[in-house]
Formats: sequence, structure tokens, C-alpha cells
Amino acid sequence: MRTSRVRAVAKKEMLELRRDPILLRVIVVLPVAMLLLFGYAVNFNLRHIPLAVWDRANDRISQALVRELEKDGKFDVVYRVSGEDELKRLIDRQQARVGLELPPGMLERVRAGQGVKLTALVDGSDPTFAFQAQVGLQKAVGRLNARLVAARMLAGEAQPLPLALEPVLLYNPEGNTAAFMVPGIVGIILTQIAVILTGLAIVREKETRMLEALIATPVRPGELVLGKVLPYLFIAFVDALLVLWVGRVVFAVPMRGSLALLLGLVFLFVLGSLAVGIVVSARARTQIQAIFATLVYYLPSIFLSGLFFPIEGMPRALQAVTYLIPLRYFLEAARGVMLRGVGLDALLVPFAALALFTVLMLGLATLSFRKRLL
Amino acid sequence: MAPVKVRAERLERRFGHLIAVAGVSFEVYEGEVFGLLGPNGAGKTTLVRMLSGVLAPSGGDAVVDGASVVREPERVKERIGYATQEASVYPFLTVRENLEFRAAMYLEGRALAAAVEDALARFGLAEAAGRRAGELSGGWRQRLSIAQAVVHRPRVAFLDEPTTGLDPLARRAVWELVYAEAERGMSALVTTHYMDEAERCHRVGLVYRGRLIALGTPQELKEAVRRRYRFFRVPGSDAEVWRARAGVVDAWQRGGAIRVVLAPDAPAPAGAAVEEPTMEDVFVLKIREEDADAHV
Repeated sequence: MRTSRVRAVAKKEMLELRRDPILLRVIVVLPVAMLLLFGYAVNFNLRHIPLAVWDRANDRISQALVRELEKDGKFDVVYRVSGEDELKRLIDRQQARVGLELPPGMLERVRAGQGVKLTALVDGSDPTFAFQAQVGLQKAVGRLNARLVAARMLAGEAQPLPLALEPVLLYNPEGNTAAFMVPGIVGIILTQIAVILTGLAIVREKETRMLEALIATPVRPGELVLGKVLPYLFIAFVDALLVLWVGRVVFAVPMRGSLALLLGLVFLFVLGSLAVGIVVSARARTQIQAIFATLVYYLPSIFLSGLFFPIEGMPRALQAVTYLIPLRYFLEAARGVMLRGVGLDALLVPFAALALFTVLMLGLATLSFRKRLL
Repeated sequence: MAPVKVRAERLERRFGHLIAVAGVSFEVYEGEVFGLLGPNGAGKTTLVRMLSGVLAPSGGDAVVDGASVVREPERVKERIGYATQEASVYPFLTVRENLEFRAAMYLEGRALAAAVEDALARFGLAEAAGRRAGELSGGWRQRLSIAQAVVHRPRVAFLDEPTTGLDPLARRAVWELVYAEAERGMSALVTTHYMDEAERCHRVGLVYRGRLIALGTPQELKEAVRRRYRFFRVPGSDAEVWRARAGVVDAWQRGGAIRVVLAPDAPAPAGAAVEEPTMEDVFVLKIREEDADAHV
């Protein structure tokens, strides 16, 4: 291993990156754009759900419920209607996503100690949305119920509800989706930079037949691979820090654990991903092939890592597959460090899995890189 | 006799059923400019790739500056310079950076810097040193490509079609550079499909369908053809009529006249001017003989 050769390859790669206007943009703009996009757009914590109300009671109780629904910004009453048909039509046209019918004489029935049946029409086409809307409705009704019961208890007319649950959210009490997403976005971006750019970096040389001239020199495969990998390792680190910083400033994503531990994790994950890129590039002949091959790796990574969909909700067979996804371990560990502030002792399994992945991939990368054509 | 720097012995390369190179043997001497002449697809590039150690032969072997391409390809790579068919230059890098990068694969420190300066001067690239390679014209890019191949002063250089697509002036410049390196003792193996370029080589090997079908100095090759055929120029424009006549091996339009190739025993046509064989004749007639043999 001659360091002067490694340095020459790395320097050449950096010069090319710096002077290629498109690549440069990909490296700097893409991560930040993705972070902002995911941070704002991927929000499981729904607010301002458009609500249509058919208030047939129009008394103190019905008005109190509507105020309760709007109080925390969960719902916006956008329509007041006077009939079920109208309610349905608004939901059909998605002008409202939830329709609420408040029956006549609510105040009288509550006073008389009789139950009131409220009917809510919820657009169930998107399960996540429907679930969030139901939870929001139940919470608002629950809050009003509690107040009504409290008033009647003061009047000596009622007993408290037999069971009351008050969940305490640890680590992310505000339900800040960005906090949950940012570690994942770091993972996605690292995968992109490492796998796709590295893959392209070598295949590009193949396509332009530069590689043939290169492998006709005494350069060793290890020197070539290392020289190609170092610049991207550096870029991946810079990007990881950039995303973490933007996440902190824009989305108030916490960093509860050790930054050094997180960077160690980033290093491990990037090294393994870079090796994947090299394995891909050793097989692919054109950049298009390389891009498709990396997509085959990249898409399952995103969907099976638990980034968007909880692994617990997947069928058993698919859950087994997730154990093969390195991003899964990265996410587990990154969320652990950033959101729960735990140390290495709590993250031994994901760290060990990532280390295994990295060692395997580096070995495969060295084996697959040959200095012969065909 | 100058020492042998490249010795190919029954080199062979198959790709599945296709035989790209079928047992080729030849030698290249020190300081020699050796031309491999052949049509596209004849196997020239496959040969060069095997000789430079980037493609494993299916059979045979070649010894390049003392190293076997089969057993020690990495040692071969230390001793040679290789310019691939399309000029391998990085468009975003300057001329100097391209040279530095290639030189760094062989040299380091002060020797590297000296080799780069030397190559810039030898190849007349000093003034263009700061320009991006992507901005260079074809001729200059080729010049840089050859400079890269020999920046470390190898004993043997393989140049794959260094003049394809260049204008005549740029081609001449490339050949002058190749000869300047050969003067310093470097052996150059140059592939081409331009007939006139074969004349520029010390010796020429004619490659056709993966075989070496003729080998010698341009003079020797032409002499061999002269012994077997006679060449005339006759006025007219009816080459087809001539081709149909007995004793006529070939006839084709050339300028305002017809060039007629006759078998040695055929009578000379009336009013015909005797002509000398050219490399093109060598090429065409050798290929014709080869095809005739193949059909028998």
C-alpha cells in the first residue's frame, strides 16, 4: 500500500467533485432539501383537520364541544351545515375530512343524566389520517366529559369515572415527528452518498474507459478503492453534521446522547455503505445499471428499516427480512443516542450488527475489485 | 540485433465461442516502432489489452520487458505505458493535473514532479498545462493521452489507435512524438487502421480475424506482394469489366483511371502504366488470400 497513490486518487476525486457543478449541488443541496422536505411534509401529528359540523342542538354543550375540538388546533371548523346530505357531500369532495352531527337537545339530555350519541363521519381512505382524526375526536370529547363529570361531582350528583388513563410520553413528549425523522434522514442521506455516489464514481471511470488506463498501471486495488472511498467518507461526515445541525436549528431535534458515539455510528455505517457502492460498481458496466442496482438496495432499506412504518406492524416474514437491512440498525442506534440519550451499553446489538455488516462488505468489496477486464 | 522487449507467443483470447485473437506470435525490439495494422474488429485492441496485462489470455503467453503477462501481469504494468483507444483524460482536470495523477501511479516526490515537467516540455504541453483537458481539441487531447502513457518513461508503450479521428497535421505530430520517444530507446507498439501510417512504422504486423497474416518492414511486405502480383494503371472507368477478365486479380477505380492487379503470368494490358504496390495493396491482397484460404 503506497500512500502517495491513495492520496493521488483521493485528490483527483476531490478535484473532479469540486469542478463538477452538478455533483457538488447533489452533495450540498440534496441533503438539506431532503431534510426540510421530510421534516415538514412527513408529519404524523396531524393538525387543522377540516371539520364540518351539523349542529342540531346549538346549545351550551354543543358549543362547548366545538370549542374543545378547535382548542388545540387539531380541528378547524370550516363548514356549518344543516343536513346529513350536505355533510356527506363535503366529505365526498374532501372539502371537509370529518363530519360531526350533534343531535338536538344535548343540554337537556345531559342535565337529565341521559347519554348523548354523537355521530362522526371520518374519511377512512387514509388509515393513518382516520386514526389520528378519531384520536383527536375522542380526546376532545373526553376532555369535555371530564369537565361535565367534575361539575356534577361538585354538585354531589355523580361519581368519578371508574378508570382513567394518563399516558406519559417519554423522550418526545410533543410528538415532534421531525425528531423521529431526522435520524432516519441522516441514514438515508448517508446511504445515498455512500452507495450511489461511490458506485457511480467507479462506474463512471468504466464507462469513459478511464478505468482501463488505470488498471494498466501498478496501482493496487486496495489503493484505488481507498482513494475513491476517502473523499466520500469525508463528504458523508460533512453531510451528516450538516443535517444534524439543520435538524437542531429548524426542527429543534434534540441531541441527548454523546455526539462522539453518534459520529462513531455514522463512520461505521458509511464505511459499510461505501463498500456496498464498490461492490455494485464492480459488477455494473454503465451508470444506469449502477443506479438501478443501488435502487434495489436503497428502496427496501427505506421501507423496511422502520423509518416510516413501524417494524412491529409488519408480517412476521417481512420482519425477519428487516434484520438484513443495515439502515434498521443505524436507525435503532441513532434514535437511541439522539432521542433517548442512551450509551453504547444499551445499543450493543445494533452496533455489533453494523460492525458485522461493515466488515463483510469491505471484504466483499476488496474481493470483487479486480485489475483485469472481464 | 537490438534486444527483444516484447515477445508474444501463440497469444490467444476467446470470448465464449468467438475467437478474438487466434494464436499470434511476434516480437518487438528495443527502440522499435511496431505497427499493428488491421480493420476494425480484427483483434488489435484485444491483443494490446493482453500485452498490457489488463486482459488474461485464454492461451499462449507474452513476455513484456522480462515479465510474463500470464504469470505476473502486475509486474508487466510496472514496466509499460498504455494509452487506451479513446484518449483517457479526465475532462475536469487540467493538463498538468492529468499528468500528475498518472505519474503518481508510478512515481512519488521529486521524481514525480520532475517527470511531469519533463513530459510537459517533451510533448509541447507547457503552455496548455493550466487548461482543462475537456477543453482541448482532439489532437491535443491525444497528445496529452500519449504524454500520460509515457510520463514515467516506460521501456515499452502500447498506443491503441492514437491517431483515429485526427486531421493529417495532428496525426503527423503524434507520429513525431512517438518517434522522439523511440529515439530514447522506448519500444512502441501502435495500432492503426490507416494504411499510410503503417508506412511510418519500422515493422508492421497485419492482423485479420484474430490472426497475424503478414509481418515485416513496409518494404518487405510490399516486396512480397510485388513478387506475386503485377500492378498497372489503365485509363477508363469500367473497373467491373476489368474484374471479369481472365488473369485479373482485382481492379478498382482510382482517380480518373483504374488500378489493375494481375496474376504474374497474365499479359500486361495495352497502354497500361506499371505501378508500385502500396500498403493498401498489401492489406487488400493479403486479406483476399486469407479469405480464399478460409474457403478452401
